[in-house]
Amino acid sequence: MKRLAAALQLVLAALLSAMPDTARGTLRETPFFEQAVANGSLPKVDDRVPSEPSVVDGTGAPGHQLRMLMSSPKDTRMMVVYGYARLVGYTPALDLAPDILKSIDVRDGRVFTLHLRKGMKWSDGQPFTAEDFRYWFEDVAENPKLAPSGLPVELLIDNQPPRFEVLDETTLRYSWVRPNPLFLPALAGPDPLFIYCPAHYLKQFNEKFADKTALDALVKKARVHSWAALHNKMNSMYRNDNPKLPSLDPWILKTKPPSDRFVFERNPYYYRVDTSGHQLPYIDRVILSLADSKIIPAKTAAGESDLQARYLNFNDYTFLRQSEGHNHFNVWLWRTGPGSQLTLYPNLNVDDPVWRELVRDIRFRRALSLAVNRHEINEVLYFGLAIEGQNTLLPKSPLYQPGLRSAWAQYDLGEANRLLDLIGLTKREGDGVRLLPDGRPMEIVVEDSGESTEQSDVLELIRDSWRHVGIRLFAKPLQLTLFRRRVFAGETLMSIDKGIENGLANASSSPWEFAPTSQQQLEWPKWGQYYETKGMAGEPPDLPSAVRLKELYQGWLGATSRQAQTQAWQEMLRIWADEVFSIGTVAGVLQPVVVSDNLRNVPEKGIYAWVPGAFFGIYRPDHFWFGPPSPAAKSASAARPPAHPLATP
Amino acid sequence: MLGYIVNRLLIMIPTMIAISIVIFTIINLPPGNYFTTYVAQLESSGEASDLAKVQFLETEYGFDRPLWQQYLYWVGGLLHGDMGYSFSYDLPVNKVVGDRMLLTAIVSITTIIFTYLVAFPIGVYSATHQYSWTDHLLTLIGFLGLATPSFLLALVLLYLANVYLGISIGGLMDPKYVDQPWSWEKVLSLLAHIWIPVVVIGSAGTASMIRRLRANLLDELQKQYVVTARAKGLHPFRVLFKYPLRMALNPFISDIGSLLPQVISGAAIVSIVMSLPTTGPMLLDALRSQDMYLAGSFLVFMSLLTVIGVFVSDMALALLDPRIRLQAGRRQ
Repeated sequence: MKRLAAALQLVLAALLSAMPDTARGTLRETPFFEQAVANGSLPKVDDRVPSEPSVVDGTGAPGHQLRMLMSSPKDTRMMVVYGYARLVGYTPALDLAPDILKSIDVRDGRVFTLHLRKGMKWSDGQPFTAEDFRYWFEDVAENPKLAPSGLPVELLIDNQPPRFEVLDETTLRYSWVRPNPLFLPALAGPDPLFIYCPAHYLKQFNEKFADKTALDALVKKARVHSWAALHNKMNSMYRNDNPKLPSLDPWILKTKPPSDRFVFERNPYYYRVDTSGHQLPYIDRVILSLADSKIIPAKTAAGESDLQARYLNFNDYTFLRQSEGHNHFNVWLWRTGPGSQLTLYPNLNVDDPVWRELVRDIRFRRALSLAVNRHEINEVLYFGLAIEGQNTLLPKSPLYQPGLRSAWAQYDLGEANRLLDLIGLTKREGDGVRLLPDGRPMEIVVEDSGESTEQSDVLELIRDSWRHVGIRLFAKPLQLTLFRRRVFAGETLMSIDKGIENGLANASSSPWEFAPTSQQQLEWPKWGQYYETKGMAGEPPDLPSAVRLKELYQGWLGATSRQAQTQAWQEMLRIWADEVFSIGTVAGVLQPVVVSDNLRNVPEKGIYAWVPGAFFGIYRPDHFWFGPPSPAAKSASAARPPAHPLATP
Repeated sequence: MLGYIVNRLLIMIPTMIAISIVIFTIINLPPGNYFTTYVAQLESSGEASDLAKVQFLETEYGFDRPLWQQYLYWVGGLLHGDMGYSFSYDLPVNKVVGDRMLLTAIVSITTIIFTYLVAFPIGVYSATHQYSWTDHLLTLIGFLGLATPSFLLALVLLYLANVYLGISIGGLMDPKYVDQPWSWEKVLSLLAHIWIPVVVIGSAGTASMIRRLRANLLDELQKQYVVTARAKGLHPFRVLFKYPLRMALNPFISDIGSLLPQVISGAAIVSIVMSLPTTGPMLLDALRSQDMYLAGSFLVFMSLLTVIGVFVSDMALALLDPRIRLQAGRRQ
């Protein structure tokens, strides 16, 4: 009996010690704050870090500053994206894990109990508690003056808000009647759903809590129209343009806009520490310098940035590699996340009745897809380094199956011609262009938003290959707002744009992109609008496959088990691959990432995606650090051949 | 004379009104307004946009009112010195423009001084040593500067300066001085960066000025009184500077009116290419996103400066050249 008890004790001790998350250990004071602590303006590190911090494996040393280049003052929001301080976040393996939260309990997918960390503070030293969540929920989101459109859509099931309970200072609960699979991914998103805000700071701008004369004076000084406008202006948690706003991010804005150079300093109350006792982030300051986006590749090559991927394109790669040794940085290539870099979207809601008949015919879409020479596009534009295939998930996604990308994606002119003949488009003009049933020549005008030269290059190549099946293609660049207006109205026959945004989805990600759910989807804007406006505008989908996709999406929304979610996904992907609602070209286009020689802990191979990666977010820049140039990286970069084929994803 | 001045001042008012109407109309010609462009950009990059909030802002700022009402609202604000609110920067226009005006003024004034300093001696030399091989050489260089597109020249100089002189690309000073107070190092850094935009923008204006000065001076030097003075044994420099050069200075003064807008708009293109923190890039962004108040108010402000500049140059010419003063008086 005694031995059993002793054994149990040992096991328990082992279990407890294997949960490093809340064990603090001895903390070391951050050199950057030593002086402030010495003269009493900041408390000691033991009092600044929560009593249950997030502990990370790390061997870095604090210090130094990171320079980055951006092009617009709005890019201060990128520090919120890169900082990636989220209630729950994605790990590099794309699983969801609590981060700011100590833990989260999910029951039936509809009751979420959030546990905050004891002793966690905002960047100004005030406690971070359930009050910040309550203030947001009751006094901001449900206040019609501050949020005229009500609660965000991720918090509504059947248009009903959740039941919000504060159980104690560090525990909250959100309960819905049916499962809400959108809640956690929204919290982990690159531009996250913020369900909290610094109540102690914002209350001075809220008429319910502030002294009326003081508030009126503040409104007058800020030259806004009302206290609500002032409150929304000051509460810029994502925009990140208010230096006085307390925050939980690793680096806090110190420069008041407008400026051409924004300085961010480390957050003294940050909630993550490493196993050696250093408080993260390692890097003391981050400096964002603004420059015109076209000049950023040149400035990066001149060594003015320590970590840069934004505003760099694949065609800058050779130029950057040339300047590598001279300016002490490395250029790595990461794969991008979208399901297809450039995708053609035949508009199923096009006005023209003859074209509409044709586009709704599955054989027509398949023929168009077979007539696109993806290999040529890959070789010409991307040195053969991209992955050819349909507009669907990337091979790295857990839901991927080999048949998905290759369905109807081979270059087979004979089969394409046969399909078009089967439809009945056998009459041709003198020069071989087929005729529509009403006698017009088959001329497809593909409209694009004129934003990148890639699109016009690809259309040149597709024009040549479609000519072989008797279709003439005309490219028409338009201004962005006009382009979208025309697609939504059904005036556009075909458009070209990026493909599926989240090519790395797993079963818990939302499959909204594969069903008619939004007007933004260029292949069926009116069906999407019908769903978005709950039947007030647009048209209901009438193609059986599209209706089935919608049903499956709603099935996924209501799924109570991971297995049900996976099943919904797989059937949706299968229908999507069969039906060829969008014609994808290449995916996994490589993104150059410039990393200074001295910057460590940046993965050499990674995924550069907005969703779910938040670009650098999931790799946690707060544990990047500057050390001496690592000899391994130096010799690796010298030994690498110039073209770096990442043939396998 | 006084009547002439008053007349000119009064003409400025309908000029400014016409300019403001043209500016307002052109900025509002593309369909939509700042908010529709903003929403479209957000949606196309996958970010959700709060449509109700956007509509709320639209009604708050009066974008649903008819155009003529919006125009009067804007002009009314301008007359009070209130240039309006910039939506893309989320700040009053005064603040956005104010920071950049100083650097824009520095670049423009330096360019004008550079143009004058270079054009003057070369023009005089060309005229006095007409058809010599130095005359041809200098003319050739001037025309090369005029013919090369300014943005191309800017990019080439930028690259060469970075590779051979180690000057950072773009900007008017090394990034670490941007937010710091003015110090000797900051001034030096500014000088090291400013010569490229000044040379590029100035080279176009220099060529035309050289040719004009040369032509005017040549005309004067052919005249009888010059021949007489030389025959009487006056020192050549005295012959040159006492009278003919004064005649040839007319275009220099009258050109201020046209040089100022040329320098500012030339500066816009070069500033955008070189990413200078001046008003050019700001204006381009504002026009692209249809940020009405920022673009419109700023353009009106610049037009006002140009109109006043032309007026000042005309007055200066009248002061310089007695013939204009006396003739004007005689006509009255």
